Amino acid sequence: MKPIDPQFFTQATASLNPQQTQQNQVTASDVQQGFANELKNAINKVNSAQQASNQQTNALVNGEADNLHNVMIAAEKASVTLQTATEMQNKAVDAYNKVMRMQL
Amino acid sequence: MSIFDGLNANASALTANRFKMDVVSSNIANANTTRAEQNEDGEWVPYRRKIVSQESRGASFDSFLQKSLGRSDNPGQGVRINSVEEDQSPFKQVYQPSHPDANEDGYVQMPNVDPLEEMLELMSTSRSYEANVTALNASKGMMMKALEIGR
Repeated sequence: MKPIDPQFFTQATASLNPQQTQQNQVTASDVQQGFANELKNAINKVNSAQQASNQQTNALVNGEADNLHNVMIAAEKASVTLQTATEMQNKAVDAYNKVMRMQL
Repeated sequence: MSIFDGLNANASALTANRFKMDVVSSNIANANTTRAEQNEDGEWVPYRRKIVSQESRGASFDSFLQKSLGRSDNPGQGVRINSVEEDQSPFKQVYQPSHPDANEDGYVQMPNVDPLEEMLELMSTSRSYEANVTALNASKGMMMKALEIGR
């Protein structure tokens, strides 16, 4: 049997210590800011995938694309990322609606 | 690791197969080319069959470094064309005295391209392309299914 690590108790009690948690506490505005940044990054990534797809399609139309499948794959990637983004948006709106319907 | 790794690996294979197809097409097109290049004596040399060799893209410095650092959880990164070599097998000798490139004995050196072999290569390349498209669609299908979670 594994001996009990004496550090375990100090760690466990440290997390219960209110003074310690005070220091690590994050305010609501911090969380909002973090969420907003995360969302912005994700939307930028979706946008860049769309732009890459657009670029490839333009190259194809102008006869500069050397491979048809690369155009299709870029389009697929853009489609998948956009669909993921809309799915996440639906989730967020659902969560908001649930909160708004909460009985007070 | 990204969710598009599988897609990218298949995309590289599609590109490689596309290139291979081009080389096979060139071999078939030049099956009767007696004047492909001139040697140092100024004589015409027939076309030599081209062979494509592929290598794994995972065999890079980066992947070896990651492996030696103990972080080798990255799968292969697909495939790429390593080189295009010339088939060094001897040319076919065809007796055709009226041919402009015939030698004194009436023999013409024809390319070492075997149409049968090229057709075989063509079929296997196109099947391989199809297999990669299928795998690509399967990984896309997995992503789409994943989006249906919790709907």
